[in-house]
Amino acid sequence: MQIPLELRARLHDEYGIVRPLPSPWMRALWIVPLAVITVAAAPVAFDVRADASRLGWMLGWGASLLQVSIGFAIIGASLRESIPGRGWSRGAIALWLTLPIALVILVTLASWESSRILLQRGWWVVAGVCFAGSAASALPVVALASVLTARAYPTRPAITGAMLGAGAGLMADAGWRMFCHFTEPSHVLSAHLGGVVLSTVMGVLLTLTLRSPRT
Amino acid sequence: MAEDPRLRELMREYQQGRFEAVDELYAVLAAALRRYLLSHVRDAAVADDLVQEAFLQIHRARHTYDSSLPLLPWGVGSARHRRRRVRRTKSRRPWATDDVAELQPPVRAEAASYAERLEVREALAQIGAPRRQAIVEHHVLGFSFKEIAAKAGIAESAAKLRSSRGMAQLRELLRSRKAAK
Repeated sequence: MQIPLELRARLHDEYGIVRPLPSPWMRALWIVPLAVITVAAAPVAFDVRADASRLGWMLGWGASLLQVSIGFAIIGASLRESIPGRGWSRGAIALWLTLPIALVILVTLASWESSRILLQRGWWVVAGVCFAGSAASALPVVALASVLTARAYPTRPAITGAMLGAGAGLMADAGWRMFCHFTEPSHVLSAHLGGVVLSTVMGVLLTLTLRSPRT
Repeated sequence: MAEDPRLRELMREYQQGRFEAVDELYAVLAAALRRYLLSHVRDAAVADDLVQEAFLQIHRARHTYDSSLPLLPWGVGSARHRRRRVRRTKSRRPWATDDVAELQPPVRAEAASYAERLEVREALAQIGAPRRQAIVEHHVLGFSFKEIAAKAGIAESAAKLRSSRGMAQLRELLRSRKAAK
């Protein structure tokens, strides 16, 4: 088949040398410094949760480290999703998106079993602080990851955005949970998990905004 | 299907600034993309259009191609995306047409009608009042010649004559206006 002259002329007008993008996982490394700051920010700025010794290293920093690692993997997967022809299957996308929720629930229940701390006063105020705090601490990661995906060619920007938002939210919660010592499931699963959901929504909106209009 | 390593090499060259590689790339890729698209859209003309759109997307997303990976799945990914987008657009706006020339907005017909009416009105103004009145009353308002004659106090044959001569004059005026354009 011969290229139509009109198409050839159009390609010629838009043509220029391009530098191939590094692999998605290499590009995900850009996230690492921000991820470290996101995890450390709340416990360093405020304090490490009061029941850290009761939880032990595994359920404390260990669980947070697991959350960050999985969050990083989800962001890497979203960067892969932003490349044409390398999108994930429906099942894989469902897995990537449910993984953060499942992990937060799992960590919440495990923490509740080890250290039961009820939120007896100011439920809504504390929930609001945790919800806004975890979403706000996810925002820089969401922004950077959205820019990284926009530099590729996301053909399903809403899915890409949801994935990177969920990953960033999970990272943010990993830090926030090291500050907030309330283990009451109703608090964690509404305020903290709500922050992850809000981060997911922010990811969708930002990726849809930043993508190329020609996509 | 094993992919020709030459194809990856061509894409790498295309990324690095050898525009001429596009001809060979198109020759190989377009055929594969067309086969893929035909199996979905089952319309050769639509498939051909989609091949071009997909190739334009391949061009725009060329920086995302990793030459360590096969080219064809990457290209088919773009074609699949174009196909989905077109299908989505068609389902959301089934009346939409790709060809602008096919569009016939009602305003166009209205505008033409208004322009013609204006021309007739201007030509009528140049005709003498008795003839103009006969034309308007018979052809526009629908009076019979008998009624027109009774109103004007003239014979029916005179009313007919006024109308027919007026119409002849009107035709001549409109013809000369058209020629002047």
